[in-house]
Amino acid sequence: MAGSTTKTVHDIFQSMEYGPASSSTATAQCWLEHHSRSPGLFVDGTFVCPSDRQLSTVNDASGQRLWSTVCATDEDVSLVASSSLSGFKVWSGLSCHQRAKVFQRFGSGLQRCSQCLAELCEMVQSPSSVSALVRLAQYYTGWAQLRDTLIPDWTPQGVVAVVVSDDCPLYSLLLKVLPALAVGNAVIVIPGSGTALPALLTASILGEAGLPAGAMNIITGKDLSLGIKVAQNPNINHVTFTGNKKEGEMLSREIAGWGVPVSLSLSANAICPFIIFESADIDSAVDSVIEAAFKKKKECQWVLCVQESVWDNVVARLKVRMAGMKCLPLLIESDRHIVDAAVQEAQQQGATVILPCPPPSSLSLYPPTVLCGVAPSCPCVVSPPPGPLLPTLSFRTAAEGLTIGNHSPHGHAASVWTEDLTLALECAKSLSMGAVWVNSHSVFDPSLCLSGVKESGNCTDGGHEGLFQFLRPGLSPPLPRCSPLSVDYVKFGATASRPPVPGATESGNPAHTPRFYLQLVGGQQCKADSGSSASILAPGGSVLAYCPDGGRKDVRNAVELAIKSLSGWKKRSPVSRSQLLYTLAECLELKKQVMAMSLQAQTGILLEEAELEVDLSISRLFDWAAHCEKEAAGVQSLPQSGSALSLPEPLGVLGVVLPDRRPLLSLVSLLGAALAAGNAVVMVPSEKYPLPALEFIQVIQSSTIPVGVVSIITGSRDLLTQALANHNVIQAIWYWGSQEGCQYLQYTCCNPLKSLWLHCEVEGEEEGKRGGGGRDWALSHRPLLEEMWRQATHWKSVWIPTA
Amino acid sequence: MSARNPGMELDLEWVSKVRVNQQAVLRRAQQIQGRKLVKKQWEAAWLLRAVTCIDLTTLAGDDTPSNVHRLCLKATQPVRHDLLESMDMHNKGITTAAVCVYPARVADAVRSLKAANSSLPVASVATGFPAGQTHLKTRLGEVRMAVEDGASEIDIVINRMLALTGQWEALYQEICQFREACGDAHMKTILAVGELGTFTNVYKASLVAMMAGSDFIKTSTGKEAVNATYPVAIVMARAIRDYFLRTGHKDSLVWLTLMKEELGEEWLKAELFRLGASTLLADIERQIYHHVTGRYPAYHELPLA
Repeated sequence: MAGSTTKTVHDIFQSMEYGPASSSTATAQCWLEHHSRSPGLFVDGTFVCPSDRQLSTVNDASGQRLWSTVCATDEDVSLVASSSLSGFKVWSGLSCHQRAKVFQRFGSGLQRCSQCLAELCEMVQSPSSVSALVRLAQYYTGWAQLRDTLIPDWTPQGVVAVVVSDDCPLYSLLLKVLPALAVGNAVIVIPGSGTALPALLTASILGEAGLPAGAMNIITGKDLSLGIKVAQNPNINHVTFTGNKKEGEMLSREIAGWGVPVSLSLSANAICPFIIFESADIDSAVDSVIEAAFKKKKECQWVLCVQESVWDNVVARLKVRMAGMKCLPLLIESDRHIVDAAVQEAQQQGATVILPCPPPSSLSLYPPTVLCGVAPSCPCVVSPPPGPLLPTLSFRTAAEGLTIGNHSPHGHAASVWTEDLTLALECAKSLSMGAVWVNSHSVFDPSLCLSGVKESGNCTDGGHEGLFQFLRPGLSPPLPRCSPLSVDYVKFGATASRPPVPGATESGNPAHTPRFYLQLVGGQQCKADSGSSASILAPGGSVLAYCPDGGRKDVRNAVELAIKSLSGWKKRSPVSRSQLLYTLAECLELKKQVMAMSLQAQTGILLEEAELEVDLSISRLFDWAAHCEKEAAGVQSLPQSGSALSLPEPLGVLGVVLPDRRPLLSLVSLLGAALAAGNAVVMVPSEKYPLPALEFIQVIQSSTIPVGVVSIITGSRDLLTQALANHNVIQAIWYWGSQEGCQYLQYTCCNPLKSLWLHCEVEGEEEGKRGGGGRDWALSHRPLLEEMWRQATHWKSVWIPTA
Repeated sequence: MSARNPGMELDLEWVSKVRVNQQAVLRRAQQIQGRKLVKKQWEAAWLLRAVTCIDLTTLAGDDTPSNVHRLCLKATQPVRHDLLESMDMHNKGITTAAVCVYPARVADAVRSLKAANSSLPVASVATGFPAGQTHLKTRLGEVRMAVEDGASEIDIVINRMLALTGQWEALYQEICQFREACGDAHMKTILAVGELGTFTNVYKASLVAMMAGSDFIKTSTGKEAVNATYPVAIVMARAIRDYFLRTGHKDSLVWLTLMKEELGEEWLKAELFRLGASTLLADIERQIYHHVTGRYPAYHELPLA
């Protein structure tokens, strides 16, 4: 811009160009200078700059040091972890109102420091709107105040580690930190390079607002390894990650087996469809897609899908609008080759290119480019390159548009353009995305929850629903921390098959021949695909019956049929699902005697106790039947005008590995939750006590549950767990079993991503004591049921703006 | 003067397909207003460009030859000479785009401009300005007489009744007749957007006016309750873009940004874009004064219109 100052008024009068954008960073520089350009770590409410630590320094173009961040060591990690523990004690001991007051003051603090914060965000190349951050603070002030009133009987998790990847903005970081703090947790933040400085400033603003020392600590490092170190510290109760997929996956793998739950929000760089239907306001849609796709720091990769009938209109407008656009900076210079190659490849495949000017010789810049007429199979659609590229493809009908939109491993968000309200709502329903923005894009508000589907995450951020990530039912203890075992992830579950030895399984009583049970696969009672079977032993050790020894193929068949049944099953209204569950309860009532006897035979309890368990199970099904009808969608209020909906939706196909304890009651409780939410389930009964589950197949068969929605497969737990973990259609696994199994699932289920709900059962534990998943199945305590329901549901938010 | 818009057959299917999403337009308007405004010499240049797009107007019951004369001379030298000189813009022909008066004052304006040796066009409002609620015959007569008196641009107002009741065919026919009556004079069609109800109607009226051969479409008469707003201008600019894309005929600072963003910079010329508010000129001249001197002027320091 050196030459620009010599431009005369007349030159500009002729060309009508925009002047250079002026941006000052004086306030931020002043803050940095105050901290000697190296603010250090934020521990126990103050900035700490430990000596002899490695520094990671950022220089400006002239080689002048702009700032340095400290690379924390193991020593710092344990210091921070113990500080957080004491911070948690103080913070969680405060009343809701006291916490709300801190948040309230934090909101005004943010406004006071808005200039400095905005400039810092600008300096780290990750611009954030401070007003959006203030809105976050205000929103969570409300939840801090209302936690005990609206979410009674849930307690904070404890110390939460928030790990953020480099490419995430401050907003995403605070969308994790603030809800965690609002419900009473302490947080340790491990920011990425794009958030380190602003996060440090934010922490000091929170400190000034009265947050107790240690309730929020910030520790900086070079890369993800620090996040992993913190997560492995025994003081941490929950780890949550926001950022890109690669690092999320790595984090998840590295902390498998440490007994700490992980939640991942992998929205960074998700592929999001931008769908323009023929009934859209084309001009507004085109303006909007240009704004979304060609902003300096875009949060996702848009793919433009245009209905064929308006294709020419859209392309013509894109050309006009793009004519005067300027080149955009690339993140790093080496990206230029990737971008060039991608554009070239698209052109070779027949795409036409719209760009305002030829790519400049400077490697760090690239003009906004639309690749018109690419196919869904093009590499630029499948794995979009960095840089200002917008792949554009066409579709014929609305249904095809939705199919193309859904056909991606990501499920972050979609933007849908139509003036037809019915079409808009139908789209919103059938897109498997966390958020659907109608006639708008990138609307982020804390009251609109964001819960990624498929590869985009396994937790919900924002909204009422997002708080539960940082809470647990007061009656269920946290996962016991442990150290990882040496698990051979390749061989896990492979050697578990035990063919019955002929002759060895004869029962002592020749008059009683053990019955041979069948499993339930896709509505059919059948033997195992391999044909082999296993024996079921009574508590005394005698053979009670035989069950199929199911395996990988059985799981595959069950999932195939579950997918088929799912399209119809999902569409059933909650009212109809509720009626179905009442019917299931009635069928169980009819078989009460048989069920009680099988329970008695299997577990050796008294008949009265067994009958009680069946009664409880019937009541539990009633619970779910009632619950599913009453748990309706919510309408949120946003600062902008429009309608925001939060819709609970089923996850899809669930894999459930059932606990040993209370074999019938636990099965019915979990099955009820899954069905009430509209999922299909593949269940693996307890390896030790499979008999009640096999008997329950008769109940299912006599009920009106659609074929394929429920499958029950018996056999080796480890082998079936391995089979469930390696079926990519299965969206979630609920697991009761060995520590080894938990570790295996955590390690395996991060790519493709599944939601996990893991429980470590300890052998020989008594009923009612903690451990063993810690759950007292007989309790119908509201939070316990709510927890199951939330595990079975993901939330979709739909935003329909109005004028 | 630029090439004229020859118009085209009325395409009702095109008109009927128009859809405008109000909230998206409002958001776009906010976004444009939220842009950082140009500064320093860019600000000055943009302000001067705005001056050259102004129709300097007096439309009052008490207009007489003397204030029309003053207006004409202000139009030929809208910014103080010494200010222009300091920016090296004094010999670049900075005038307003036109002078706009009531039909009865056209002859006065033409005389004053001729006396001042200026070729500045005189625009006349016509067709029952501002309400348009007179008989078609008298409205046509008004146009013809203004042209006879020497007006080279005619600002017609559309019949809102026809637009509001969806009689696009009839509206098209009326405007076509006005266009014929205009002869060689350019026709600027005022849509009176404040009275059209919805953005969709604004878009449709813009299209019909252009199909009927309007050389300009204008937002408002300045006499309605709601006049030019940014969102409405966005809708009109998009209609123009739509028409231009289909046919190839071309027809303050945020205003300029808006036009630049929606249409592109070659539209920012007096032949294609006009600003109607006359008090605007005083504001612009004050800002130019500030740019040149660094001080804010008192009103009496700048020549009267």
